[in-house]
Amino acid sequence: MPFHILFLVSVLAGFVGAMSGMGGGVILIPVLTFFGMDIKNAIAVSIVSVIATSSGSASAYVRDRITNLKVGMFLEMFTIVGALAGAAVTLVSGRKFLFILFGVVLLFSWVALFRQRNEDWHSTVHQDRFSRWLELQGSYYDQSIRETIAYRGTRAYLGGPLMFGAGMIAGLLGIGAGALKVLIHDLVMRLPPKVSTTTSNLIIGVTALAGTSVYLSAGMIDPGLAAPIILGVVIGATLGTHFLVRLTNRMVRRIFLGILLILGVEMIIRGGVGV
Amino acid sequence: MAGQTSANSEKPGTHRHFDMEILIGYILLVGVLLSVALLAIGFIWRWERSGNLRFQHTILGMNFFEFVLTSLRQMASHDLRPRVMVNMGIAVLMLTPFVRVLASVFYFALVQRNWKYTLFTGFVLSVLTYSLFLR
Repeated sequence: MPFHILFLVSVLAGFVGAMSGMGGGVILIPVLTFFGMDIKNAIAVSIVSVIATSSGSASAYVRDRITNLKVGMFLEMFTIVGALAGAAVTLVSGRKFLFILFGVVLLFSWVALFRQRNEDWHSTVHQDRFSRWLELQGSYYDQSIRETIAYRGTRAYLGGPLMFGAGMIAGLLGIGAGALKVLIHDLVMRLPPKVSTTTSNLIIGVTALAGTSVYLSAGMIDPGLAAPIILGVVIGATLGTHFLVRLTNRMVRRIFLGILLILGVEMIIRGGVGV
Repeated sequence: MAGQTSANSEKPGTHRHFDMEILIGYILLVGVLLSVALLAIGFIWRWERSGNLRFQHTILGMNFFEFVLTSLRQMASHDLRPRVMVNMGIAVLMLTPFVRVLASVFYFALVQRNWKYTLFTGFVLSVLTYSLFLR
C-alpha cells in the first residue's frame, strides 16, 4: 500500500471515528483489509494507534476532572489481563473467525451507541459494600448545566469481571472497544454518562498497550506501516473532535453511523464467503 | 440545594493546585505530543534524505526493551537515523500509558497514602512490565 493512501485512509478513519464516537480502529481495520492488508497485521497496527487517540483525548478529560481515576484504575486490572489473553488468541486463530467476530462486535457497538442514553440520570441511593470499600464515588462539574453532579458507582463485583471481557475483545480485534466499556459503566455501575465515556477513554490506553506488547513480541508491528497510521489517525481524530464541537447536526452523525453499519455487515459477509 | 451534595468537592478554577489529575493529564499530553513529533521528524528527515517516505523494516520477535536498544544502536549509523526517530516515536507512545500507571503508583503510595489503590495500580504496573518483557 503506498504511503499517501495509507496516510489518507488513517486521517479519514480518525476523523470518522471521532465524529461517530466509536474510535479509529473500527474504521481502520475494515478499510486496511479492503486494500489487501492481512487482518492480523491490520489489528496489530491499529491497536498501536488506539494508544495515541485514547491518551490524547483522556489527557483533556482528566484535567477537566470528569474522569473518575479510581473507577478507571480498579477496572484496568481486569481489562489488561483480558487484552493479553485476547491478543494471544488472535495470534493463533483463523482469519475467518476474526472477520466475523469483528463484524459482530461492530454491529453490537453500533446498537449500543444508538441506544437511548438515559438523559435523566439519577445517582443510585444504594451502594453495595464492596463498591463503597473501593471508594467508587465522586463528583464532577457539568459545564452545560453549571452544576456539580455527585454520584456513587455500584456493583463493582460485576463490573470488574465484565471488563475482562471488554479488554479481551479490545486485544483480540485491535480496537478500543469503548462502546462495550461505556455500556458496563452505564448499566452495571450506574455512572453518569459523561463519567462513563471519559473513564472508558482512560482505560483504553493501558489496555491497548497490553495488546500492543503481545503483537510487538510476535513481530507483527511494522514501524514503517504503524508510523503513518498513528500520525494520520491522530490528525484525523483532532480534526474530528473540533468539528464535533461545531457540528451538532444529527444528520451528519446519522451518515457516519450508516457507514459503520455497512462496514459491520461487510466484514461478516467477507468472513462468511472466505477472505 | 445542590450545594449540599457538593460541599466537599472542588469548584472548577478555584483549587487548581498540583494534584493527581494534573499529573496524569500532563503525562498523557506530553507523551502523545512527543511521540507525534518524533514520528513527523522521522518522516520529514527521510523525505529530505531520499525523497521517499516508505520505511522498509520489520522488527522480528523482539520485546519492547530489545526494540528500544536495537533502535538506539542504529543511531550510530548515519543512514538509519530517520528510522530511529520513527522507532523512538513508537517507543514513546508505548511508554506513555506505562509512565502514567507508574506515576499513579507513586502518587497513591506517597501522597495519598492509599494502600488499597497502591496495590491495585501496582498490580497493573507489574502486568504491564511483564508484557513489555514478553518474547
